[in-house]
Amino acid sequence: MTDRSTMTRFALAGLTAGALLLAACGGDDGNGDDGDANAPGTSNGEARDSGTLKFYTDKAAWEPQFDRVSDASEEQVGWDLDFTGYSDADAYSAFIKQSFRTREKPTLFTWHTGDALAELVDEGMVAPTSDIWAEAIASGDIPADLEQYYTYDGEQYCVPLNVAYWVLYYNKHVFADHGLEAPQTWDDLMHIADTLAAEGIPAFYQTNILFSFVWFQTLLAGSDPDLYEALGTGEASYTDPGVVAVMEQWGDMIEAGYFSDPGLADDPQVLLNNGDVAMLNFGTFFTGSLNELGMVSGEDYDLFVIPNVDPSLDRTSLIVESGPLCAAQEADDRDQALDYLTWWVGAEAQTEWANARGDVSFNPNAEIRDERLAALGEEAGTDEIRLVERYFEATPQPVLTAALDGFGAFVTSPGDPMPILETIQAEADAYWATQ
Amino acid sequence: MAPGVLIVAVLLYLPFLWTTYLSFTRYRGLGSPEWIGLDNYQAMFSDPALLTSLRNTALWVAGTIIVPVGIGLLIAVLTYNMRFGAWFRLPFLIPYAISGVAVGVIWSFILQSNGALSQALDAFGLPGAESRWLLDAPLNTFVMIGAAAWQASGVNALLFVIGLQSIPKEPVEAAKVDGASGWRMFRSILWPMLRPLTTVVVGLSIVASLKTFDVVYVMTQGGPGRSSETLAITMYRETFVQSEYGQGGAVSVVLTVVTLAASIAYLRRQLSERRAL
Amino acid sequence: MTKVVKPAFLTVLGLLWLAPVYLLIANAAKLPIDYSSSTVWKPAFGTALFDNMRDVWDRADLSSSVLSTAIYSVTGPLTGVLIGACVGFAIVALRLRHGFWWFVFVFGGTVFPLQMILMPLFVGYADTGLYDTRLGLILVYSVISVPFSAFVMRNFFSGIAHHVFEAAVVDGATTWRIFWRIYLPMSKSALVAIFILQATFIWNDLLLGLTLSQSDDVRPIMPALTSLQSTYGGSAMPVVLAGGLLVSLPTVALFLATQRIFSRGLALGQF
Repeated sequence: MTDRSTMTRFALAGLTAGALLLAACGGDDGNGDDGDANAPGTSNGEARDSGTLKFYTDKAAWEPQFDRVSDASEEQVGWDLDFTGYSDADAYSAFIKQSFRTREKPTLFTWHTGDALAELVDEGMVAPTSDIWAEAIASGDIPADLEQYYTYDGEQYCVPLNVAYWVLYYNKHVFADHGLEAPQTWDDLMHIADTLAAEGIPAFYQTNILFSFVWFQTLLAGSDPDLYEALGTGEASYTDPGVVAVMEQWGDMIEAGYFSDPGLADDPQVLLNNGDVAMLNFGTFFTGSLNELGMVSGEDYDLFVIPNVDPSLDRTSLIVESGPLCAAQEADDRDQALDYLTWWVGAEAQTEWANARGDVSFNPNAEIRDERLAALGEEAGTDEIRLVERYFEATPQPVLTAALDGFGAFVTSPGDPMPILETIQAEADAYWATQ
Repeated sequence: MAPGVLIVAVLLYLPFLWTTYLSFTRYRGLGSPEWIGLDNYQAMFSDPALLTSLRNTALWVAGTIIVPVGIGLLIAVLTYNMRFGAWFRLPFLIPYAISGVAVGVIWSFILQSNGALSQALDAFGLPGAESRWLLDAPLNTFVMIGAAAWQASGVNALLFVIGLQSIPKEPVEAAKVDGASGWRMFRSILWPMLRPLTTVVVGLSIVASLKTFDVVYVMTQGGPGRSSETLAITMYRETFVQSEYGQGGAVSVVLTVVTLAASIAYLRRQLSERRAL
Repeated sequence: MTKVVKPAFLTVLGLLWLAPVYLLIANAAKLPIDYSSSTVWKPAFGTALFDNMRDVWDRADLSSSVLSTAIYSVTGPLTGVLIGACVGFAIVALRLRHGFWWFVFVFGGTVFPLQMILMPLFVGYADTGLYDTRLGLILVYSVISVPFSAFVMRNFFSGIAHHVFEAAVVDGATTWRIFWRIYLPMSKSALVAIFILQATFIWNDLLLGLTLSQSDDVRPIMPALTSLQSTYGGSAMPVVLAGGLLVSLPTVALFLATQRIFSRGLALGQF
């Protein structure tokens, strides 16, 4: 610590002239505070009970919502967030990993569950949060179901930043114009898609970039959720007849004209709003984007849980995605960060956060103002539903990359899925051999 | 000059040496790198996707030297001694001045299936409106070269204009007296004397095209199914998406060596021939 | 004949080049709710453009980054151009020994893929205290500009006959004076070209600014703007376009303002 800061001081001293000049250029009133904020808690080892925590996220677009929560936390617990947003998830994850080597560690940061979090836990980079979890589960602030995604070797790390359930959003006007209603069964859904295809309207949105996995996930989890989960743990093969069947079904649906062109660059919310597609398969975080466009829940759009492909399954598979909010183990103000996480999972913080985002909350005690989302949140907690982890988190990184490329190619030119599945499986074999 | 060279060395060469070191290790961004010798290079050359990546990069190099350099030269020659020439050049320069965010969005909706380009072709009754510009290889690489040319041509034109304007008047006047004009004037007087700036433009184009990243990343991210990947995209994918820093480092070292070799070969010829003049 | 053909050809080609710019403006001027990809060519009228721009300005909080970006875009290329000119001068006029290899060494700086030097740079910056300082960014932007300007200046100077240099030496001028009083003024158009190209590059830089800075008053404008575009729900297309257009205004203005320098007559024909 001593020689680091000596070095820094030396470097800074050498550059004083330039620095002074710059300070003169940029010196407006707000600067004094910002200067302090950059090094919270570092100047003295004593715990302070208010200040600013350095916060990094790859969800740059959520800055206004984080600002609202930050205001609330400043009021309630004395700490606010110094926000830095990345919009490219890959550059972000490289940045965070490298930052652990330097003294510019983030105090709080958002991350991804699954493989990505396991890596950080292995290296001892994230602070354990088992106490927070025990307390929150006891008080009912976090459903016990979520614990598995945050547990490594019996300890919990990070807390949920959010949860999102993957559902089908639909344009109510398009449905009404064609005399359609939200489906109860998979057959209903296919009937809707057929009706729309006959009118030249693609029923579903799909893309070949990043979210190319969405329909694979939906079809497989709705046909054979056990197989879906086994794929994620390496216990099943991508060339399993069940997987092949799902790919073929997917290909048939594409051929039947159920899907939009996979290369569309338009925002999906705009496509839905214009009626260029009838339905969007997205996580509930998407509600915010629809509302921002001026679409009204229940009037312009609505959502439903996607019925199982296989009606004989006893519970409906619902894809869930949960992103963690983590505290860095070696940050100087780790204790304050953990206090912040304790506040974060509470009902007050979650009410603020979920409503700012226009999303569901993992905390059942939070008051969700959007009735449709509130109902969905309750439904997700019942025995009718089987929560299934999103493909993106459930799949190890090298396999995921190969799969996203493979699915991207498949939705662009559907055909024999075997070569694609074999490529993915080869990646999976290589990965699981090293584990 | 010494401080200039020193500072380039520290800020650009040191990081690259680190990357080179990483290319001989297995490193996922956490912990410490583990020495594995040439494994990364071996893995790279046995990856079938590398071939596509090499082919696309070669297309980019050829395309970039022909299209934006050619258009740039054409515009420069037509405008350099013309009344209001600077204003005629302006439309070609504006694309460079527009920020990458807007350029990316604009071109993705020009080139998406049934996008602005298809609509325009359709309106004029031209064929090709049905093309899936960004989805089918190698068409996607060709149209992206076009998008890149849109941005780069004006810059090349500007550099050529500077070269043309620095050509001494005497030989040009003398040639005019001899009755040279148009193509012959260009061929025998302007082109040889433009050499220094042609070298700049072509040299920079070679380097830039070998490193092609931004356009492809914004439009297709190398897809669908890695069909439009370039070496720089492969490198980014290994490093940032897969977190295989060593593997990405290996691609980057190969890319750098190729780029350096190509530019030295080119510059050596150009610069030493000139000295002989 | 050519008097008509040439301008006509350039006009047609120019209009073709401006078509994407038209699309940019037309769609940036639509209300998010009116935008549809099937009507991108349709012009838009009204004040939506300014509403969208104001939306961007507030949402991405651009005001805090404009000043620092302006500082970077001026100081960076200025230092880069001067150092680059020095390098070019030393190699060409002073006939530096092994000049070609010195040149290749400096030029090598453009060869490395930027994406690969980002992370080591970040680690180095964080350890030396340059991370998240304006000085650090000025430094990296200056360095980034050096190879390009060294390349252009080296070749531009090589077009100046060496007897100009020799004559000046005979007149008793110092090397510095020759550089400052003869070579630089002769290369005005080249220097300006390098400056505007590099200033534009820096103004539009995303990666370096994103990786090497964090606080609002140090971060340049592009990283602030990208928050509009994000997988997890960015802004609507017209707003993103309006943002892109808004931040392009200074660079477009820079190009407009400097065009006169490239018109005929300022060349060094007299030498």
